[in-house]
Amino acid sequence: MLANAWVIPLLPLAAFVLLLAGGRRWKEGVAAWVGSIAVLAACVWSLGVLAVVPGGTGRKMEIPWLSLGDTVITMGMEVNRLNALMLLIVSLVSFLVHVYSRGYMRGDERFSVFYAYLALFTFSMLGLVISPNLLQFYIFWELVGVCSFLLIGYWYYKPEAKAAAKKAFILTRIGDVGLFIAVILAFWHTGTLEISGVIQAVQDGKVEAGIVTLIALLIFAGAVGKSGQFPLHTWLPDAMEGPTPVSALIHAATMVAAGVYLVARTFPLFEASPVAMDTVAYVGAFTALFAASIGLVQNDIKRVLAYSTVSQLGYMMLALGSAGYTAGVFHLMTHAFFKALLFLGAGAVIVALHHEQDIRRMGGLWNRHKGAGVLFLIGCLAISGIPPFSGFFSKEEVLLSAWQDGRWGVFAVGVLASFFTAFYMFRLFFLVFAGEYRGKGQPGPVSSGMMWPMGVLAALALLAGFAEFPGGWLSHWLTEETGIPAGHGSAPVWLPLLTVSIAAAGIALAWGMYVKQSVSPEQWRARAPWGYRVLLHKYYVDEGYAAVIALPYKGLSIFLRGFDRYVVEGLVRLATAAVQTAARVSTRLQNGQVQTYALISVIGLVLLMIGLAAGRLF
Amino acid sequence: MEKVLLDYDWTVMAPEIIIAAAAALLSLADLFLRENTDRRFFSWFSLAAVIAAIFFTVSRFGQQPYEILGDTYRVDDFALAFKTAVLSGVGLVFLLSAWGVRQEEIRFRGEYDYLLLAAALGAMIMTSSADLITLFVGLELLSISSYILAGIHRERYASNEAAWKYVVQGGVASAFILYGMSFVYGLTGSTNLYTIQQRLVEAYQTGYDAFVLLSLFLMLLGFGFKIASAPFHMWVPDVYQGAPTPVTSFLAVVSKTAAFALVLRIVLVGYIFLYQMQIWQQVVEPVLLVLAGLSMVIGNTAALHQTDTKRLLAYSSVAHAGYLLVPLSTLGAVLFESTFYYLIAYLVMTMGAFTVAALLEREAGHGNISGFAGLSRRSPGTAAAMTVFLLSLAGIPVTAGFFGKFYILMNALSTQHFWIAGIMVGTTVISYYYYFGIIRQMYFRPPASKDRMRVPMVPALLLVIGILGTVGLGVVPEWAVHWIGDLQWMSALTPLNAGPPGP
Repeated sequence: MLANAWVIPLLPLAAFVLLLAGGRRWKEGVAAWVGSIAVLAACVWSLGVLAVVPGGTGRKMEIPWLSLGDTVITMGMEVNRLNALMLLIVSLVSFLVHVYSRGYMRGDERFSVFYAYLALFTFSMLGLVISPNLLQFYIFWELVGVCSFLLIGYWYYKPEAKAAAKKAFILTRIGDVGLFIAVILAFWHTGTLEISGVIQAVQDGKVEAGIVTLIALLIFAGAVGKSGQFPLHTWLPDAMEGPTPVSALIHAATMVAAGVYLVARTFPLFEASPVAMDTVAYVGAFTALFAASIGLVQNDIKRVLAYSTVSQLGYMMLALGSAGYTAGVFHLMTHAFFKALLFLGAGAVIVALHHEQDIRRMGGLWNRHKGAGVLFLIGCLAISGIPPFSGFFSKEEVLLSAWQDGRWGVFAVGVLASFFTAFYMFRLFFLVFAGEYRGKGQPGPVSSGMMWPMGVLAALALLAGFAEFPGGWLSHWLTEETGIPAGHGSAPVWLPLLTVSIAAAGIALAWGMYVKQSVSPEQWRARAPWGYRVLLHKYYVDEGYAAVIALPYKGLSIFLRGFDRYVVEGLVRLATAAVQTAARVSTRLQNGQVQTYALISVIGLVLLMIGLAAGRLF
Repeated sequence: MEKVLLDYDWTVMAPEIIIAAAAALLSLADLFLRENTDRRFFSWFSLAAVIAAIFFTVSRFGQQPYEILGDTYRVDDFALAFKTAVLSGVGLVFLLSAWGVRQEEIRFRGEYDYLLLAAALGAMIMTSSADLITLFVGLELLSISSYILAGIHRERYASNEAAWKYVVQGGVASAFILYGMSFVYGLTGSTNLYTIQQRLVEAYQTGYDAFVLLSLFLMLLGFGFKIASAPFHMWVPDVYQGAPTPVTSFLAVVSKTAAFALVLRIVLVGYIFLYQMQIWQQVVEPVLLVLAGLSMVIGNTAALHQTDTKRLLAYSSVAHAGYLLVPLSTLGAVLFESTFYYLIAYLVMTMGAFTVAALLEREAGHGNISGFAGLSRRSPGTAAAMTVFLLSLAGIPVTAGFFGKFYILMNALSTQHFWIAGIMVGTTVISYYYYFGIIRQMYFRPPASKDRMRVPMVPALLLVIGILGTVGLGVVPEWAVHWIGDLQWMSALTPLNAGPPGP
């Protein structure tokens, strides 16, 4: 099972090919079954792999793909415990989303295309996870980007979706350039593309400290783009234009976590460079707080969740930067479950309310959709960090690692962000489920096929924390024989008390504002209108980009257009004219007369002879 | 001890014997069968013979080289590899003609099949001999059979014209080759390549240097005809267009491969001393590179204006001959590997492209490129297959054509010939224009008729083989390269026994 783990990504790929071949001839049910079964098989296989994967370097298998002189570029797979865990998370969430989409996408004209894209994404993401070398990693990294682009722009006739897809593609590409340079640098300085080889070379001290820092920072640049960290975060909220199952799978649970995974995968590189660690920790902490504060005032149900995703990814980065390897991975896992749950719950709400996404026009759904309400509440409790839900344990580990690494500032920011998190999540929950229904028409039903995947995720969101608590089983399992420190010992007693009371305070404030209405949000808004506007406009980052980058860029482009029109195009015209003339001459010579042909050959011979004589004389 | 005929192990000639026997058998059967008997089974019989020949060829790999009658017949890895390629090409051509040439189109069905076998036999001899006379006989066997094959559509004006032009031009080429060979014989007194190898050095050093080079250049001119390189390519467009499509594919794939085997063998065995004496680098290499560059430029630019599919592929074939000449000119470290890899890649993608061309010619009744219009809607599978072949011909990753070009480019760069690498890249970009022109036709032009195009079993099989080859060689080039790299190419350059000195 372990030796053939490379089959796992191929299962969804086969589904993709089948779906493409089946095309629109297939009924919705067939397409959904094909996709779901393939991913389920991948999921079961991953579970088997997870059960038997050995610690340390794990299992590796490669075939030479291309040799350039002495350098052999390989393709293959590497399964260690981190990879195996990711395999399971990705395939499991993907399977549940496949099932869920059957209900959510019902009646869509390009139903099978949607499933084909989902399968292609699952293939790419699984391939990314088991890549043993940086080049293969990079190929799959770009491939998930392409799938993300395709799925955000799935409703391509909506101009916002088109723009969002484009934005996501371009902004992540900025980070990708960094990653690509990192790959080249790593190859240049270590002579290998193998991730384990690069890590080994760095650990052996074969690479200068400055170069290690540079490589780590450039890798982090790629992670910043993919995981929506500040300042490249703006694409992720816009990506919510895609169908909600896609948001759950790609823009919450898996692809956006690829950046975190990348940092975890190359963690020894970061460990070797204090500067890189600081950068990761500070960027992560800042993003966590920054995105959480924006989430406080957003009114679109999916956008609130999107900013929350950005913020939670910040937490993971914060943990990794604070040497909390297992904390980061642990939070990645729990977040995948509860955030996918929240998105699927949001999708259920959106379907029930006939594609209404503004939370100001929702409310009172608790009575009508108690099941969805309970499941959504579980997600909210998990993300807010209320015990015994999984988020509590992982967030505590994150904060603990910051505390024990001596990063007081980062720790304080993390605690403050967790207060924000609790507040905006329950603001969302109360606005959607409590009070009176404020929308038009009547909420519709939600199919059971959409409910039970949420149930599975809710169970995981509830239970996943116990993989680590008590006893730190997960961290031991992950770090066994890897040389990465397992954890930070036990937490001080006051830490869980602090985090729980902070979260409770956030929830209480939300309750006071939106249920009891003893605290008026309007009053707060009026007290600091400027602050509210800044938050509502997401700190004007998009506008800032427009002014600082896009405007000068436009000016440059006008200049370049002139240059292009008169200089470049002139050269192009010249070149095409030359080619066309050559073409005309050679076709004119081809006049069908054998005499001409023979004559040309003789001229050729004469020229050869002249060449011969010239070569010998000079 | 003098060996007599029966001392030799003649089983090593099994592939040639099978093909010759099949050709003889078919010509006899053709005589005795009644005129109106369906002779379509001839193609299947020939195909079986070719497969048997491939089997015997492949099973020789890994064994010691062997020669018969003073190197007039040689089996070494060089011969086996090229013979496998040639036979595979012939097999595919038979597959194409088994379906593609209908009874009513060719009245001389019998001749068609056994002439093709005879041509294949000629090509096989060209790959596995080290004697000028045998090599020339093989070349002529291939050429003369091809002349008739090109004109086998006797009623069709274009086919007649093609055959006639081919005969005249081919005759001129053969004359040049023979003229060059006669100089060699005059200088060395032998037709055995290994004897020539030794004696040409002496001749060169004793004041006959001009004649040595003259002999090489005269032969190169003739070889230029056979591999379809500029400026000796003038026959190519007319003949490719006029000949029946399976014959065209034979000329493009099999003839070219066999000709390259012949050129490599004669030049590398006979004239390798020029390289060691630095004369090659000063005199021969620049000339060959100019021919290569000229072929690329002429082939790729003239193709821009073509409206006929086969004519376009003809110019593309000229361009590919140009690419293939680069490793031979520079004599880089991976000469055999890069040339042979490119030839296999060229074989699979070109056979695929010609299969689609034949399908459309039958469907539309003409060979114009406009026949491709809207193919994606009429037969998405065929359009996708053609796209793969065209991408490969254009050298887009990850296809066989890309890695073929890549290795040749590496060859040029590692031997510091930057200008030819530049021409290669530049003309490749030009070639995108006409290759993508066909893709544009298939996907963005409305079809002439709305009916779905039916693709019968046999061409569908050919397309699948083509795609598997093109994509397979592109995705895992390492397997092919590894296999090619393991062959004992150098065994072609060394004699097995000194051989009796010539009269």
